[in-house]
This record gives sequence, structure tokens and C-alpha cells, in this order.
Amino acid sequence: MNLYKVILDSLYSLLPRQPDKSAVYSDALCAPEGDKNALLFRADTAFELGGSGKAAVESVVFGDPPQNRDEVLLYGKDLRELSDDTPFAHFTVIKLREDSDKDLRYEQLQTIAFSVFQLYPEGYHIRISPSAGREQVRVARSALEREHPLSFMNVGCSLIRLLKKHEDVESVNTVFITDQNSDYRALAELARKAKAITDTVQRTLMPDTLDCASCKMKPVCDEIEGMRELHFQKERERKRHGT
Amino acid sequence: MSTQSFAFVGKGGVGKTSLSAAFIRLLGERYPDKKILAVDADPAVGLSVALDMVPPMTVDDIRMRIAENIERGETADAVSLLSEARFHMTDCIAERGNLSFLAIGRPEAAGCYCKVNAYLKQVIEMFSDNYDFIVIDGEAGIEQINRRVMERITYLVPVSDGSRKAISVAQTIADVASRLVSCERTGMIFNRVRSGFTPPDADELPPVLAVIGDDPNQTQKDMEGESIFTLPPGSPILAGAKKALEALLGEKSESL
Repeated sequence: MNLYKVILDSLYSLLPRQPDKSAVYSDALCAPEGDKNALLFRADTAFELGGSGKAAVESVVFGDPPQNRDEVLLYGKDLRELSDDTPFAHFTVIKLREDSDKDLRYEQLQTIAFSVFQLYPEGYHIRISPSAGREQVRVARSALEREHPLSFMNVGCSLIRLLKKHEDVESVNTVFITDQNSDYRALAELARKAKAITDTVQRTLMPDTLDCASCKMKPVCDEIEGMRELHFQKERERKRHGT
Repeated sequence: MSTQSFAFVGKGGVGKTSLSAAFIRLLGERYPDKKILAVDADPAVGLSVALDMVPPMTVDDIRMRIAENIERGETADAVSLLSEARFHMTDCIAERGNLSFLAIGRPEAAGCYCKVNAYLKQVIEMFSDNYDFIVIDGEAGIEQINRRVMERITYLVPVSDGSRKAISVAQTIADVASRLVSCERTGMIFNRVRSGFTPPDADELPPVLAVIGDDPNQTQKDMEGESIFTLPPGSPILAGAKKALEALLGEKSESL
């Protein structure tokens, strides 16, 4: 899937060549599962990723990661090394299987992207604002004080396990960024563009959306290579089938 | 233990806010390790002063924000809306020790907010599992609690003063509530009554939990904007609330 190529190229150009920490997926590394209704109180919170108005970027991108394997990458400090609210970005790069039906793959993008909302590691209270592209996480003191303190490697592996439940997902790279020197403004802009692409694909798949003059997604179609092709291919198919 | 929730309803000016605050103080003193959520479902947001807690924003603020997003076509699908509601609701909760405070805010402006209300209510119900006690200071009727806060209440507490009108309102609320929400017990409190007041003997009235006389000390504190926590322990409103609380919890109170 090349629609997100420009996003992925920019993302990896913004990151240092080597992560501060990484781990290939292992079931044993997954975090203990928490209660989906749990609310982590401030009194029990060690710090909040993206809290106190700091940057908090969330994005799901589809395409080819540098390494086609399930992997967690961390740029910056791990949970145990943090003590205060900190800027935060979380990118999930998903490679879909080449052999799966192409149309079906497009239709599943949003469903797969929504899976990140279903992640509830114990002591790691995630909340995501899709409209703002923000992901903030309250991290419990208890999660950092236990015998095996919670780390991004645990959370990332849990997310990979969740995403791999989708048959069309071939591999997942989940990238956590807490480095104070990262360009969070540029990362937020990439997240905004990635969401616009996913939204535009969804819009293209809807049967009543082919008046380009009035479509607010037109700038995305114009900018992203392959989007117009997808759009008009869908239109031709619909005409052929009389729908 | 499952969450025990109390909803105070009744005509305006009968002292629902003071009684809600009194219950919150008593529950906190009796069960210092338990988590309590105070919900101000009255648009006047008087519970904020009574508890000396200011919510960062109200649920109404979120509703407006999400409704604007929907109008702009940004978040329309169910998954995104629920996630959006959960995200912002966390910011709405003021916390002090084991006490959390959530203000519902104004009633909706013109337009239909059913969809947004449904998601916000779902988040309140999800979060309610995290608390041992929930105390809701309601608007006059139960409809608004049912529509905007939660559908299941453990204890419904209609409050009335000695006036015939207030008693009639309380009676109507209890009747409507029995059809609209699921509640385990209903018990009535007469508040701010003159000395010598006797509750009317009416079959339609819920059982009376307490009769509380006018409390000049509490009225003065109200006027000065002082919180319930500054009242002396023997105040009539605290004594009456204690009696009502014990009557409602009954045998449960030992196991909590």
C-alpha cells in the first residue's frame, strides 16, 4: 500500500537512525490486561504522557516499515525513567498482506485503525481523541513499582498482539517517542495527514461521494499519489455494476 | 461491592445540594478508603461551592465540542465518538483525595444532542464502576438524570420542605422515577421544616428517612459560600443526613 508512503518516509526521516530501545514481538512480553472501564485517578498516577498540555500525537499508518517484522521501537526514555508529564508520540505502522483482496484491504483500514482504541494494559490508561489526533496516557505508580515494571516494550507487544488478530495484518511496527528533542509539531502534522488519507479512503468507498467540486477531501486526493486512481477506479466499478 | 448510588431530587430550594454535600461528607468520614463520585446534575452547579471543588469543564462543554466536530464531519462513527467522549470526560473530573467531582452543566441548547448524550452517558456509566459511592445532586426531576447521567440508581431520595407544593412535586418525582429508572430503594427527606412539622400520612409518599429542621448555621454558611466541610459535626443537616444514610444503607453499612 503506497498511499501512506510519503508519511512513512517523513516519519523515519524525523527519527534518529537507531532507537534507544527495541524488542521483537514476543507473547511473553505482553503487558497484563486491565479493565476496559478502569479510570486511573490522579492520586494513583505517576505521570501522564502528553499531560499538562504537552504534545500527544497518535497515528496509525499503513505501509512498509523498514523491517518487515513485528517490533516495538522506543525513541527517548522508557516509562520507568520518566517522572513527570512528558511530550509523547505513538505511531503504529501496519503492513497488510499482499495476498489479501485489495478492495477488502481498503475497506478494513478504519476497522484495523480503530483496534488501537481497544487496548487496555493494566496501569496504562490510554485515552485517544480521534478528532485532535491526541493520545494521552496516565501511567500508574503501581505499574512502575511492581516486580517487573511496565515498559513500552510490554505495551507495544500487547498492541501488536491485538492488531495481529486481523487476518490481513502481516506485520506491525509500533513506535513510541518520548525524546524531548523530537519535532512533535512535525509528527503531529504527519498524524493529521495520515488520518486525512484514511478518512479519504473511507469517503471514496462510500457510494454517494463522487462530486469532486464539492468534496472536502479533494486536496488529499490531489496530493496523495494513488488516491485519485483509487477514487476513479471505484467510480468506474460502480458505473459498470449500475450502483 | 457494587457501586452504591444516591440521587437527590425535588423542587428547587428544598436543600438537595446541601443534603448531597452532607451525604458526601458523611460517606467520606465513615469510609475513608472508598472512592466517591459527586455528580452535579443541577445546571446551577451549586455542589461545586458546597464541596469547594471546581470542575475543569462540564459535560455540557464536551457535548458542545463533540457536536461541533460532528457538524464539521470530523467524528461521526460510533467508535470515534465513544473514544472522543472518554478522552474529554477524563478532563472533566476534579479530584481531591478519594473524592471526584463531575458537573453536568447547562441543559442542551436548541438542537438534538441525543447521539452525543448517549455516548457521554455511556462513559459516565463506564467510569462509575471505579467508585464505591456516587452521589447525584439532581435537577427537579428524574428525567434529566435518566437521560444525561445514568439509568440505574441504588437509592432515590426525593427531598421536600413542608409546603404542599414541594410535597406534591416529590410525590410526582417518586412516581415518575419508579417508571423511568431502576432503583432499589426510595426514601424521602423532609428538610428545612418548621418545628412541630409532621410528615403527611399519604400512601403515595415514599418512607420518610429523616425530618430536618431549619438550620440557621448552615444557611449562613451557604450565604457566605462556605463548604459543607466547615459545618460543625452536630449540625442539624449533618445529623439528619446521618440518620437518612443509616436508614438507607441499613445492614449493608457494616459490610461496606
